Amino acid sequence: MEKKISLSLSNIKHSYGGSDFILNDINLDVSEGEIVAILGSSGCGKSTLLRLITGLEKLNYGAIEIYGKTVANKDFSTPPNHRNVGLVLQEKVLFPHLSVLENVKFGIKGKKSFRTKKAIDLLNLFRVDQYVNSYPNNISGGEQQRVAIARAIAPDPQILLMDEPFASLDEDLKKDLRHETKKILNNNNITCILVTHDIEDANSMADRIIKLKDGKIDN
Amino acid sequence: MFYNSLFENSLKILPIFLFLLFVAPVILVLSSLFYGYSENWFHLYNYVLSEYIINSIFLIIGVSFFVVLIGVLSSWLVTYYDFTGKSFFEWALILPLAVPPYILAYTFTEIFDTYGSANILLNNIFLLEDKKVFFPNVRNIYGAIAVFSFTLYPYVYLVSRMAFINQSISIIEAGRVLGLSRVGAFFKLSIPLIRPAIFAGLALVIMETLSDFGAVEHFAIATFTTGIFRTWFGMYDLQTAMQLASLLLIFVTVFLVIERISRKKASFVSRNSLYKKYDIIKLKGYNNFFAMLFCFTPIFMGFILPITELLNWTINYKLDFFNIDFLESSFNSLLLAIIAALLCTMISFLVNFSARFQGNKFLLSLSSALMLGYAVPGLILAIGITQLLTFLDNYIEFFKFNFILTGSLIGLIIAYIIKSYALSNSTIEASFQRVSSSLDDVSKTLNISGIKLMYKIHFPLVKTGLLTSILLVGSEVIKELPATLILRPFNFETLAVSAYNYASEERMYEAAAPSIAIVIVGLLPIVILSRIIKNSRPGEELWKKKLV
Repeated sequence: MEKKISLSLSNIKHSYGGSDFILNDINLDVSEGEIVAILGSSGCGKSTLLRLITGLEKLNYGAIEIYGKTVANKDFSTPPNHRNVGLVLQEKVLFPHLSVLENVKFGIKGKKSFRTKKAIDLLNLFRVDQYVNSYPNNISGGEQQRVAIARAIAPDPQILLMDEPFASLDEDLKKDLRHETKKILNNNNITCILVTHDIEDANSMADRIIKLKDGKIDN
Repeated sequence: MFYNSLFENSLKILPIFLFLLFVAPVILVLSSLFYGYSENWFHLYNYVLSEYIINSIFLIIGVSFFVVLIGVLSSWLVTYYDFTGKSFFEWALILPLAVPPYILAYTFTEIFDTYGSANILLNNIFLLEDKKVFFPNVRNIYGAIAVFSFTLYPYVYLVSRMAFINQSISIIEAGRVLGLSRVGAFFKLSIPLIRPAIFAGLALVIMETLSDFGAVEHFAIATFTTGIFRTWFGMYDLQTAMQLASLLLIFVTVFLVIERISRKKASFVSRNSLYKKYDIIKLKGYNNFFAMLFCFTPIFMGFILPITELLNWTINYKLDFFNIDFLESSFNSLLLAIIAALLCTMISFLVNFSARFQGNKFLLSLSSALMLGYAVPGLILAIGITQLLTFLDNYIEFFKFNFILTGSLIGLIIAYIIKSYALSNSTIEASFQRVSSSLDDVSKTLNISGIKLMYKIHFPLVKTGLLTSILLVGSEVIKELPATLILRPFNFETLAVSAYNYASEERMYEAAAPSIAIVIVGLLPIVILSRIIKNSRPGEELWKKKLV
């Protein structure tokens, strides 16, 4: 059976303030449950592409569809809070004033007991459930990143976007976390776009690797 | 060699000596709690103490609500939105800081009283024969809340703006992706994240409100400070005044401790957050108008209106602006400001150099303890210093020296230094932090140490900080009222004291000249502050040069 297209990018062109195009004519379809790695050097436009998909950046040209619904074109943009995508960044952006549990519960909708149970289950899955009451500044970088991924998955996003999620971790930790994350994404059939400059990240995580060079997909 | 080691040893002792000098007045005031209680105390306790406490709490609650509302919302608007006049509002919102609460109180009464300028103006405009009263009476606690709110909100505005400017945009974006709208992200993330900053600003506002004497006295509101003043100068009962002052000090300390605890608990600093330029949203139509109105109102009420009224007094009543009294009090204020600012800056410089040079943690913590002097209300400080000087005078007399400290300028200078040390220290400390410690190491290998290191290396490098400190302390000294009123030598008038004296005799128009002079001097730190804020966002320069 043919898989559904969860994300479709058509003729994406983007520039900052009318300067040169940082992204130029990007076309990409991603199937449901597929993990696609976008590989490229610094400044090639990979992070900008993720920001366009999340809606944090307004699109100049082209169109973005999520499960067949247009979320952005040059005239219109669905706000980030209505796109149902998850985002994990390289930098630690856990909410410092909330506990680990509160961070993961943040995006989950429903009754309090349901939200708490779901959050604890996810923390358990990422093996950080012992830190439920700790604050982000009191746990290690690797643990923070586990919590960040759990938080991004918690609201059941249709697509998970990851921007260099393992870049600041040491090698052993990277290996473990890649493996665990891939397993969880596959088990839950979550579509994922992974942006990275590390070929190891791409090889170990992705079903498909796309290279981005000077704002274009490099075939 | 001998002088160098003498200098180094003196540096070790200086912070300890200063600490003792700073705490002595406070201890002397607090010690009054253990003496006997006079009949006056029981009278105060039975009839007015509850009124002091209730009024103080009511003032604090009202002022806190309005300063947070005005300070946080205006800083949020100018940081994240673009609307007509935004670049003007960014710095102009600090302007009311130049107007001390007592001067706003004087002008408010003259503007809004039954026969005040505002009522006369409206009656003239609408050609009303029966003199109608359009504005409510402001000589009450609600008027005081308005006065404190419009003059003190810049404390909350400044810290909130700094916090918003330095807030991690990635965290807000993460919240947006997790389902929060822009407004939701403001209430659920932006505000909780800057809560420690808001508390810090609010603590300053509360301390200033509790310490104020001029405004509450003008509005005849029974608070701790008016009570202390009346007990001392009305009942001539210093002992009871000190006991009241002790209660106020405990009140202030409680707020200070709450603020410290809340800051300690909340380690909201987001580490590893890369600098990102935030999106500034352009407001249009009604939104643009309301944003503009919201930012303009506090500037109008806290700065434009009082300045206009002061100018109105000066121009319409053809005052002899530069009369001899004004010139004399200006000279006195300037003299005090220069002496106190130079001494305070020199002391902070030496203490900071000493802490750095010795690398001594005890000296460092002593230096931050000295900053608490800012929290001691001027009136309490004045009482404590009077006690300290009387105590010292007894010793001087014992040793048959022929001079007395009480009633001299020394007490005033000590009070100003204690009150302003925090201002001076934070500026100089920041300047020292920008000087790399490797410079000290290299200098030592070049055999430059002690006085030479201070004079040849550190002094030139922190010169701007020293100058800033002199300006900040100088302008603070010129505005200070309660301590000056009590500690000044007999017949020694300053600008603040002149304004107070004229206003208390209801000779408001004559209060214009000293008031305008105080406001002009108060504008100095504002110029400095707006420059600091403008350059405070990490990476701002890089963005301007398009390097990131």
